[in-house]
Amino acid sequence: MAHVLRRAFRSLWENLYLNLVATGVIAASVLMLGVFLMVMYNLNAITHSWASDVHVSAYFRADVPTERCFELKEQVAAMPGIEAVRFVSEQEARGYLVDQLPETEPVLLELGEGVLPASLEITLVPTMAHEQGIRDMVAALDMPELEEVDYGQQWVERFNSFLALLRLLGVILGGLIAIAAVFLVANTIHLVVYSRRTELETMRLVGATDEIIMAPFIIEGLVQGVLGSGIGIVGLVVMHRWVILRLQQALDLTLAEDPLAFLPLDYTLALLIVGVLLGVLGAWSAVYRFLAKAP
Amino acid sequence: MIRLYHVSKTYGDHAALQDINLKVAKGEFCYITGPSGAGKTTLLKLLYAAEKPSEGKVLVGGVDVTSLSRRRRPFLRRNIGVIFQDFKLIPTRTVAENVSLSMEVLGYPRATIQRRVRAVLSIVGLKGRENNLPAQLSGGEQQRVAVARAIVNDPAVLLADEPTGNLDGGMAIEVIEILQAINLRGTTVMVATHDMALMDRFPYRALRFVQGKLVRERPCRL
Repeated sequence: MAHVLRRAFRSLWENLYLNLVATGVIAASVLMLGVFLMVMYNLNAITHSWASDVHVSAYFRADVPTERCFELKEQVAAMPGIEAVRFVSEQEARGYLVDQLPETEPVLLELGEGVLPASLEITLVPTMAHEQGIRDMVAALDMPELEEVDYGQQWVERFNSFLALLRLLGVILGGLIAIAAVFLVANTIHLVVYSRRTELETMRLVGATDEIIMAPFIIEGLVQGVLGSGIGIVGLVVMHRWVILRLQQALDLTLAEDPLAFLPLDYTLALLIVGVLLGVLGAWSAVYRFLAKAP
Repeated sequence: MIRLYHVSKTYGDHAALQDINLKVAKGEFCYITGPSGAGKTTLLKLLYAAEKPSEGKVLVGGVDVTSLSRRRRPFLRRNIGVIFQDFKLIPTRTVAENVSLSMEVLGYPRATIQRRVRAVLSIVGLKGRENNLPAQLSGGEQQRVAVARAIVNDPAVLLADEPTGNLDGGMAIEVIEILQAINLRGTTVMVATHDMALMDRFPYRALRFVQGKLVRERPCRL
């Protein structure tokens, strides 16, 4: 093991330029993946917060007596997944509308009563506030007394579809970045392997197993991976602090109440692992290509 | 120690070896001789499994090299020391590091390697040159480094491909004397050479190859 470590660190030093290039490639890949992950993570968080703030409005038919409305309110309140139910009479609805849009008052007066239906304002428990939960709830509200059920979330669903498409594109883009990085790292390490081909050939001819030959390169790849992903993650932190947050302030982007968050620890660790895997896989593939042709 | 049964090796249309049957006993010293292109190097390559025969069977130390898997090859080579025609020294490593390579791959402790390398370099007359790079040595000295690397693990078989090809008469004799000394310790030695004068001076068994065929055999006259 000592020989392997010595050879690995010696090679790192002797091929410093090539190793720096490989480390740089890993750092750039981790940074790109990190930026993408951060954007996705924040978009997910925003849509999740929007989606969890769901209010379902169930509008009564005009001919439903108020007593029946209250009976139904109790019935709905007893349903699973309901946090609160509030009955909104026509008068309350009018008052709310006039408060929000005072210019509608003359029109409403002219139209008389029966224009704005009474309704139930239903708040779901957070665990139900997802697409399927809302759909189940709307299905459960399929009652003859109710004219329409509106949960104002159709656009969130559309946004979710858009996000799913973005995620798919992200997976493809991330995959391509990872493949390109493995290819670049492998070729860079292949140059190191090529510069040391006499040594490696000789090692094989004097009885070194593939594992003994490969081990120092794997350690080199590991070191490059750790350093590269470390640099990439530090770059991501800098980018988040100095670029994204400032950009957000400058453009006054208020998509969410909180500023765009940095990646949580598990995502950051995943990036570190991706970087290490890039280094190790790159090294493995470069040496494997060489060994496959060695006598 | 070494057995070849009806061994042939072809590269495309060219037959490098044709129907070779051969037996070399344990502890024997033997030359493989013949003009360039006779198949000497190919024969050695078959013995250390750098090539596979197109036909026939090769046994080294009882191991069937022909059917040896890629993963088992290194373990065969650990018992075979090879002196390559082009030395195969690593230019960026010192003499001591080049020699210690054979021991490092076997995982010997550093202290053992250093002790053994010093001893072997002393045998081949390179004491005091441990820290030189190959480029700082003469052709003869480089040849001796290659010899030192081949014998440092005390192999059961030593194969030498033109070990005196780059040397003048005096140095060539020194190298053969080193191989002779190793042979006297029980190592089977096979030397590919076309140096007739050397073979006459050290008249061990000689196998003459011409165009891939074993055409004549001279018994040991010692």
